[in-house]
Formats: sequence, structure tokens, C-alpha cells
Amino acid sequence: MILRTRLLRRAVVSTLTLGLVAAGYAGIAGAATVQKGQPKLPAATLNGSGSTLTEAFLQQVIAEFKTVQPNVTVNYGAGGSGKGRQDFVAGVVQFGASDAPYGAGQALPSKPFDYIPTIVSPVAVTFNVTGVKSLKLDAPTIAGIFDGTTTTWNDPTIKALNPKVNLPSQKISICRRSDSSGTTQNFTTYLTLAAGPKWTLGEGPTVNWPASAVGNNGNTAVASCVKSTAGGVGYNDFSDAQAAALKMASVKNASGVYIAPSVATATAALVGVKLLPDLTYNPINTKAKGGYPITSPTWLLVYSTQSDAATGNAVKAFLTYIEDNSTKLAPQVGYAAIPSSFQKAALSAIAKIQVG
Amino acid sequence: MSVVTAPAGGALLRSRPGAKGRKARNHAATALIVVAVLVALIPLVAVIGFVISRGGSVFGWQFLTQDIPVLDRDIGGGMLPAIVGTLIITGGAAAMAVPLGVLGAIYLNEYGQRRRLARVIRFLSEVMTGVPSIVMGLFIYVVWVLHFKNETAFAGSLALACLMLPIVIRTSEEILRLVPHELREGSYALGSRKVRTIRTVVLPHAAPGIVSGVLLAVARAAGETAPLLFTIGFVTSTNTSLFHGPTTALSYQIFHNATSPFVGAQDRAYGAALTLILLVFLFTALARLVTTIYTRRTSASSGA
Amino acid sequence: MTTETLARPNPTPDPERSLRGATPPPGRTSDRVFQVVTLAAGLLVLVVLALIVVATASQARAWFNAEGLSSIFSSNWDPAHHHFGAFGLLYGTLLVSFIALLFAVPTSVGIALFVTEVAPRRVRRPIVYTIDLLAAVPSVVFGLWALAELIAPLSHIYQSVSSATSGVPLLGTLFANPSGSGEAFMTAGIVVAIMITPIVTAITREVFVTCPASQKEAALALGATRWEMIRGAVFPHGRSGVVSAVMIGFGRAVGETIAVALIIGSSPRLTANIFGTGDTMASIIANEFGDASGTWRSALIGLGLVLLVLTVIIGIIARTVLARADRRLGIVAR
Repeated sequence: MILRTRLLRRAVVSTLTLGLVAAGYAGIAGAATVQKGQPKLPAATLNGSGSTLTEAFLQQVIAEFKTVQPNVTVNYGAGGSGKGRQDFVAGVVQFGASDAPYGAGQALPSKPFDYIPTIVSPVAVTFNVTGVKSLKLDAPTIAGIFDGTTTTWNDPTIKALNPKVNLPSQKISICRRSDSSGTTQNFTTYLTLAAGPKWTLGEGPTVNWPASAVGNNGNTAVASCVKSTAGGVGYNDFSDAQAAALKMASVKNASGVYIAPSVATATAALVGVKLLPDLTYNPINTKAKGGYPITSPTWLLVYSTQSDAATGNAVKAFLTYIEDNSTKLAPQVGYAAIPSSFQKAALSAIAKIQVG
Repeated sequence: MSVVTAPAGGALLRSRPGAKGRKARNHAATALIVVAVLVALIPLVAVIGFVISRGGSVFGWQFLTQDIPVLDRDIGGGMLPAIVGTLIITGGAAAMAVPLGVLGAIYLNEYGQRRRLARVIRFLSEVMTGVPSIVMGLFIYVVWVLHFKNETAFAGSLALACLMLPIVIRTSEEILRLVPHELREGSYALGSRKVRTIRTVVLPHAAPGIVSGVLLAVARAAGETAPLLFTIGFVTSTNTSLFHGPTTALSYQIFHNATSPFVGAQDRAYGAALTLILLVFLFTALARLVTTIYTRRTSASSGA
Repeated sequence: MTTETLARPNPTPDPERSLRGATPPPGRTSDRVFQVVTLAAGLLVLVVLALIVVATASQARAWFNAEGLSSIFSSNWDPAHHHFGAFGLLYGTLLVSFIALLFAVPTSVGIALFVTEVAPRRVRRPIVYTIDLLAAVPSVVFGLWALAELIAPLSHIYQSVSSATSGVPLLGTLFANPSGSGEAFMTAGIVVAIMITPIVTAITREVFVTCPASQKEAALALGATRWEMIRGAVFPHGRSGVVSAVMIGFGRAVGETIAVALIIGSSPRLTANIFGTGDTMASIIANEFGDASGTWRSALIGLGLVLLVLTVIIGIIARTVLARADRRLGIVAR
């Protein structure tokens, strides 16, 4: 084929150039969502386990990360914060997810490790009461419900806070966690801080719930329990509660305002919260004005020295991806991103991870 | 008056004192017996109907070939990783349990017979078939997963093999016992040694029965969940390796999704249940088919 | 392979004897090797069982050290405060199994009678096959079905029965405090009953089939109705067999894990409310093991050991009863 006319030749050349430029732009634009200057990593498998509170966020991130690093397979097995901390210590997983730092009496990792903050999630008090669309609750009332002293929904303590709501005499059925849970830990920490002497069951990954409370494995199972139990009440991450279309109570915060759980009120809860040197922080029962009082932090656990090069680089890439993209991805699934100062601190900790 | 259907007692029954009461009790008993059968059949119909109706809506080629969605709450997706996982784990378990089980049964029936050791082994195999499968899972977790620090399909296979071994030994021994002794004696009479006799006479004769027993054991193992809970981990993409990396299985996925409030996850659970039931029923039907051919062959050959 | 020697025919199933002084017949070593191999395979069962006991016992030691054997009889299961009393779980296991047997045994005996005495000959095999299909359905599918279809109507039934019997002396306590969702001991008992029916039916059927026709015909000849014949000839003959079947069903019920874990409500406690939530040993292991650590995990493994011992004891009793019954009937035990 001979390009006869000059016009035709020019047309072809300009089309080709335009095409190349467009492709270049697309490539650069695509690379912008990849880490800047990050090539495709070789094949690696990352296994993680832990928090079910953050499960939906991690699942979303894993799906997106796969498009950016197609050779890296990330498996997240959830199982509860306690399992995450434990599997991390045992070396069964490359990263753990926990809604609470290691506590007293728990086996600590033998090698140095980092807490990498990722997102926060409101812990909603979900309920399934016939004919009731909204509820206002404060810490002492919640304590009374979950320690079994308040047995029916039309109890005077609940009625006092909700004078206009038609509360039936339905029995309260508690849905709680049966596994070692960071959600339980943060929820009970809130009750300890805010309900004072009214809450006697203590705080921790698991507490001695009333005998009739139904145990459930994981956050989604609690959501399922509340959904299928008439008169049910439970504590759930906002993401699952919203996706399951459960009704959530507005909880009175430290400033005396009734706040409904949402991405916005979780973000508001972080105002004024200090990040400690080991990157832990505590937004529970926040003093922030519009903040939701039961906002749960969550961290990913990673070892500071990675022996295997492929896995180490993959872990670093994965964590960096989370910090770079959580502001965009978190609200899509019902989570709130942490402030950029927290993210910067996390990124510098990730950069310090030694590989090989 | 209605005629009593019980043979031979009818005429006498009508004229004896207290006859009406006895007849009534007989009718009542028959009614209760029939009710018992219905009571057992109703849950079966209910379960199968449930699985077919709910699972049928998601089932299809797409369901069988797509990966599990990474987000639990997503709608759609499939169960390919779980199907592959179930086949690999169960296959691995069968590869270990079947040869060992058949060899063990050969020992019990051909060599051990009434000796004390054989009686002990036989008794304990029988007892071991009743051990809960979760204990097997705990055992392999403690001995293998903790030791090698990883969850793999092979760990699951080990747990299932522990489960299958006593079943295979027991059913194979039953079949070997049914092999007519005259066949063995004829082989010895021709000068064969024991091994050759077993190899050329006993095993071929027992093969269909053993195969049938093995298929039933495989069907049972494929449906097990508890041994896999702590041994195989969790994945959403297909892992075809037996020895490397975690995997998932149909039974595990059903258990995982059963307590989910999300419609998408529940639908996948129903689809997985339908797939699993089809798989298990397929093996069971194959086992019955093999048995039917076997009995037809032996009744035909034993001079009918 | 080996050459066929036209040796004299061997009268007994032991062709190992060779002529003294003659060279050993070919293939003798391969025979010995094969014998050893099969013996090893058979011994493997013993080895595995022993290993299971040893491994679980060693891991459970931390629990026993912390709380002593008496923890099996304490009903305080409280991981938060490191109390691991197993009695509530043992109670739950036994209660669920008892309810299951209550429903399953009469049903299974009825089905066995139907198949052996009542049903026309052509219907027998299909019915047997269909009941055996029940055994093929995996436990997790039963759990899924029960969660989706059974617990909602059951919760209504529990509420009605509970309010109807409130105040009645014994029944009132038994049926008090029904679970809001329908997850309860009773629910688990019903589902486990469905699952153990096939095995109990199969064993009972085998026992009833061995009843001598002469005894049955004699009863009928004397003018007995079919029911009287069953009571007079079949039942006495099959009594210990039925006992054995019940024991085997009990063993299965005790070990049922996954379906129970899904529908019992996971609240370990000692209570008379059979319409309330509870927990069993097997299901608490399934639900809590994943993330337990230290003494908690050791306690769960200890529960596994208790479960193992329980099922082994039940199995031994069942087989012994069956063996004794067989011996009485003249069936030679091997």
C-alpha cells in the first residue's frame, strides 16, 4: 500500500500520533492510581486474618488492589480481632487485622512489629423492634439492656429517653459476639467509660454476657441475628448494619448530643484525638462535639522486618495502597478515613519496613 | 365391620371377647407406623425442595465457573474455588484413605481373622467411625497446621482421611468376607500363593463392593465441614494446589454464608448447597449402581 | 511372574508351609512383605486413634493444670475471666442428644417395622433407599435449611406453648423463656433427630429382619393381630439390637457439630428451659476455636477430648451389646 497523496500521509501520521498520545495519557493516568513509579510485582500470596469489623473495607481494598497488582493474591480470612492477633503471633498469616492493640495477658509477637492505622468504623447499636423506626439511647440505658437487667422494650428507662415512640412490651433478645472480638472490646470500653458504675461486666475481647444472650461468630452473624430476631438488639459495625438495612440507635455522646452513626459522625469523632508514637489512638467516648461516641479504631499488624523479598514487597505495596486510597474507598463501603496526619505517619512507618 | 387384614387371625378375631379393642390397637399401631415413615420423609422432602428451589435460582454454568466475590455483600459470583477445593481435598483424602483402608481390610480378613490383634483393630475401627469429625479437625490442627504454620488443602485432606479410614476398612472387610471361600481354595489348589490369590481372585471379586463402599465414604467426606474449619484457611479465588496455600470448600462456604444477612451471600450459600447435594447424591447413586451391577453379576454367576 | 508349581493342594487357607529341606517356593518373601504391609495398614487405625488421644490430651493439659479435673463439673464457662467450666456444655450435649433420641427412636422403630412387616414387598427397597438419602445430606445443609426455614415458625410455636403452659408446675419451667429467634435446645434436638434417624433405622431394620419367621408365623397362627405379633415375637427378639441402635444413634447425636452450631444460639449454660438458647461441646469448639488462645484454646481442646472419650465409651457399649445379642442368636462373632 503506497500512500499516494501528501494529504493522506499527513492524516495517517496525525492519527497515529494522536493515538500514541492518547495511549500515553491513559498509561500515565492508569499509573497514577498505581503507586507512583511502582512496577508490577512478581507473584506473591499474602494471607491475613482478624477483625470482622473492618472486613468489608479490606475486601473492597483487596479487590481494587488486584487490578493494580494482578500477580499478588491477598486472602483475608477474618475470624475476629483475637484470631488476627493470635495468627500474627503464630506466624500463620503475613498481616493481622485488629481493632485493639495487644492487651495484658495476651501473647505478644516475638519480633518487632508495627500497628498501621487504616480506617475507623462506628459501632452501631442495632435493633429490631416491631413498629419502632428510631431510638435514642444513652450509655446507662445501653448498659442496662446488654447486661440483662432491662428485659422488655417498653421499660421505663428506654421510655424516658423516647417519650414519643410507641414501644411494645416485646422481650429484649441480646445478640452478642461469641468469638474474641475487637468490636466487643471497643463497645465494652465505651460502656465502661460512659456508663460508669451502671456497667458491671467489664471490658475486653469477650465478657461474661447474660446467659440468655445469643452468641454469634463475627459481625455479619450479629447483624443476621438482630435481623431475624423479633425484639433483637446487638452491636455491629456500621458497614454491615447499613448493608443489612438494620435500624440503628442514636447514642448520646460525651457532649450530651444524640448522634446517629454514620461516616460523617465517625470522621467527626477523630477531631482532637491524639496519635501516640506507636500509632495507636483512642477515639472511644470522644469529646468531639458532633462525634459518634462508639467509634472503633482498627489497625493492620505487620512485622518490621520481612525475611522473604517477594512477600515483603507485596505487603509494603498493599499497605501503601491502603493508605493512599482509603480516603476514596472507605466511604464507599461505610467506613471513615483517618486524618491525613495519621495516614502520613502510617506511610512513614510502612516505608521503614525492611525487606530481605 | 371392616375385615382385619392381618393374616390368619381374622376369623378368630371377630368372635373373641375383647376383639374390638385388639383390632383397634392393631389399626392404631399400623397408623402410627405409617406416620413414622411420613415423619421421616417430610424433612427429607423439605430439605431437598428448599435446596432445589432456593439454590436453583442461582445455579447455572456461571455459578459453577465464577470466583467467589471478594465482598460478602456483593450479589452474583460463583463457587468455582469451592468446587475445586472440595474435589481436591476429598480426592487427596481418598488417595490416602482408600489404599490404606483396603490393605487394612485385607489384613483383617485374610491374615488376621480371629486373632486377638485383628479383633482389637476391628473393634476399634468400628468405634472410630463414631468419633466426631471435629475431633479429627482439632487433631490435625494441633499436629500439622500448628507445626508447619500454614493452612493447606492437604491438612484438610489429612483430617478427612482420618475420618474415611475406619469407614473404608469396615466396609471393605464386610465385602471381602462375602467372597466365597471356595474361590480362594480353588486358587490355592492350583498352587497360587496367598498374595497372588488375593490379587487375582479375591480382589477382582470384591472390587465392585469395595468401590461402592469407597464411593459412599467419599460422599460422606465431601459433605464434611467441621474437619476443614481450622485446617484449610479461606480464599475467594481458585487454588489448585494440594500442598501450597489456603483453599476453600463447598461445605465451608455454606457454613460461612449461612449466618450472613446479605442476600447475595445467602444465595451463594443455597447454590453451594445445591452443588454439594448434587455431588454427594452423584457419588451415592454411583455407589448404588455399582452394587446393583455387582449383585446382578454374582446372582447370575452363582448358578441362578 | 512366579512359576506355578503343581504342588499338592493346600487344605487350609495357609499355603505358607514348605517342604522341610527343600528350597522355599518362590514368592515367599513377597508374601511376607505383603503381610507386613497389610498389618501396618491395619495398625494405622490404632496408631491414629492413639495419636488423637495423645495429641489432644497434651494440648488440653494446660486447661487441666489451670482448673483441675473438677472443671468438667463446673458450669461456669466464662472466657473473659478465664473460667472454663465444662458442665454447661456437657449438659447441653446430653440434653440435645436426649431430645433427638426421644424423637428419632420411635420414628426409626416405626420405619423399621414398616419396612420389615407392614409394607408390600415392592415398596420396601425404595423406602429404604429414600431413608438412606437422608443420611447422604450433609450436616451443614441441614443447618442452612433449619436456619432459613425452621427457626422462624418454631419461635412462634415456642412462644405459644410457653404462654400456654406458664404457671403449670413442671411444664411451665421446662417451656419458660423461649428464645426470640427460635434458636434453642429443642430446635437442635429436632434437627439432630432427623440426622440420626437413618442410622438408627438401618440397624433396627437389620435386627428385625433376623427375627425367625417361625416365631412370627406361630404368633399369627395363634390368632395374634399383626401388632400383637410384633410385640410378642419381633420386639423381644430384637430388644438388645434396638438398644444397640439407640446407643449408636446417641453416639452420633453427641458428635453432631455443624448443624447444631448454626441453630443452638451459642450461649453455654445450665438451664431447664429447653425452648431457650444453649450450647454443646462440639458446637462451641466449632464456633470459638478459631480465635481462642492460651487456656481458652486448651479448654476447647479439652472439650474435644471429653467428646472423644464420651463417643468411644458409647461406641464400646453399643458394640458390646450388639455382640452379645449376636452371640445369643447364634451369629458367630469374628
